Amino acid sequence: MKRRYCTPLGPTWFLGRAGYRRFMAREATAFAMAAFLVYLLFLLRGLGRGYHDYLEIIELTKNPIAVFVLSLIFGAVLYHSFTWFNLTPKIMPMYVAEEKVPDFWAAILMGYLPWAAVTAVVLWGVLWWSG
Amino acid sequence: MSRPMGRPSQSSIRYSGPPMPAETITLDVFRFQPDGDGKTTFQKYDVPYHEHWVVLDALNWIKDEVDGTLTYRWSCRMGVCGSCGMMVDGVPKLSCAAFLKDYYPRAIRIEPLTYFTVERDLMIDQEGFLGKLKSIKPWLIRDDDQTPDGGEYLQTPDQLASYKQYSMCINCLLCYAACPVVGAEEDFIGPAAIALAQRYNLDSRDQGAAQRADALGAEEGVWGCTFVGECSEVCPKNVDPAGAIQRAKVDSVKTWYKKLLMPWGGS
Amino acid sequence: MGRVVVERVTTFKKSNEAFWWSLFSAGGVMSALFLPVMVVLCGLVLPWQSGEGDRRAAYEHIHGLVSWWPVRLVLAGVIALSFFHVAHRIRHVLIDLGWRHQTAPLSLVCYGGAIAGAGMTVWLIVSL
Repeated sequence: MKRRYCTPLGPTWFLGRAGYRRFMAREATAFAMAAFLVYLLFLLRGLGRGYHDYLEIIELTKNPIAVFVLSLIFGAVLYHSFTWFNLTPKIMPMYVAEEKVPDFWAAILMGYLPWAAVTAVVLWGVLWWSG
Repeated sequence: MSRPMGRPSQSSIRYSGPPMPAETITLDVFRFQPDGDGKTTFQKYDVPYHEHWVVLDALNWIKDEVDGTLTYRWSCRMGVCGSCGMMVDGVPKLSCAAFLKDYYPRAIRIEPLTYFTVERDLMIDQEGFLGKLKSIKPWLIRDDDQTPDGGEYLQTPDQLASYKQYSMCINCLLCYAACPVVGAEEDFIGPAAIALAQRYNLDSRDQGAAQRADALGAEEGVWGCTFVGECSEVCPKNVDPAGAIQRAKVDSVKTWYKKLLMPWGGS
Repeated sequence: MGRVVVERVTTFKKSNEAFWWSLFSAGGVMSALFLPVMVVLCGLVLPWQSGEGDRRAAYEHIHGLVSWWPVRLVLAGVIALSFFHVAHRIRHVLIDLGWRHQTAPLSLVCYGGAIAGAGMTVWLIVSL
């Protein structure tokens, strides 16, 4: 009976290689984003109920713990955006007239440019538009 | 008459050949005998250091001069056959592409590819992979069987370019050793198999995408992948299997929605 | 001596992962595009506006904005899809951390949570 040997995948496998650690960091952003989404639900509820309820939710983010947590969330959200747009050309390669667009430019055209546009429109709409 | 010369070695293997050069490097090699007690050990060998040598040269020197029982695969020694994959200092590499000078003077740890069953020493069991490869039908599938009299299948340079990258796979299995899902899920067909499925699905001469869809769209197919991306990092031929898998996921989604919204549709 | 190779016949398990992944992808795009500016607005700009007048004006302005149905549509789409995005990712993180057996309750909690979150989003926006 031949004996075999096989390297097992340990429970902390994601710490073993730099690529694994970057992967887990990218995936972990989901937890921070989930927390922010729940906060958004409370904000929407406050918006619907009236000025004082809205203010209550908005004021929540002013205490120091909230500021710290929000900065972590902001970091996570940015890391998600950057990793997402950088990977998009791998998921959907861009072809122009049968030629493949290099990943760098594809990421800019399919990701960073739309991101800048959306950010500009939302900021303009919320802060400066008075229609 | 012949006695061990050169630097004293920590290994119990007695070298009795021409004098060792002043510069040597230590290889710490994984050993496993299936008909032994099943224990795994590491064996240190001091090999001559030459600037142009690769790990494979060192292993061949060990086998020729010191320890003929050391077992490993190799063939072309130039990175096109895919035989000599192994873990060099914990990184999946072709031993013919890992230069000693990148590690000298540190010792180099040599192990068989991770997540594979080891047959002996540095030799892994490839049968599982070969079965997975076969399951995605890595050959041109045609609706019509054209004979050679019918002429060649014509293909433009652009059509070739759309799958050429995935055809460069040499089945070296470094990507499997880098993929945590391969380590965790025995049935995951893995990066090379999916990249090769894409090689045929994207080939303009092939008409068999529907036949590969079941394997690719299964849990053990593309959906096992979580886009860690290490497979593409270690690939010596720049196949980018990670990219191939994500594109296959998009195709699988299109197929899924088509089946849902148009169940009467053809292939 | 000949070698007998026993081929393990794998019957591939059909998967509906494609559906959840499509929602994950859509949510990934929406969250990547919209969440950063929303974090800045909700965490930096709006709370730290000085002056009661400014804050009141901001509230009226935003309330007016989200009463406009195109804005409601986009807002609902972004938040609801983002819920599915994070649910799918969290499910896979837990699988990667070792939860590989009895994955049905995991899927139920994650996607159930996403459906609840998305449903709540639509209801809250509609009743603004």
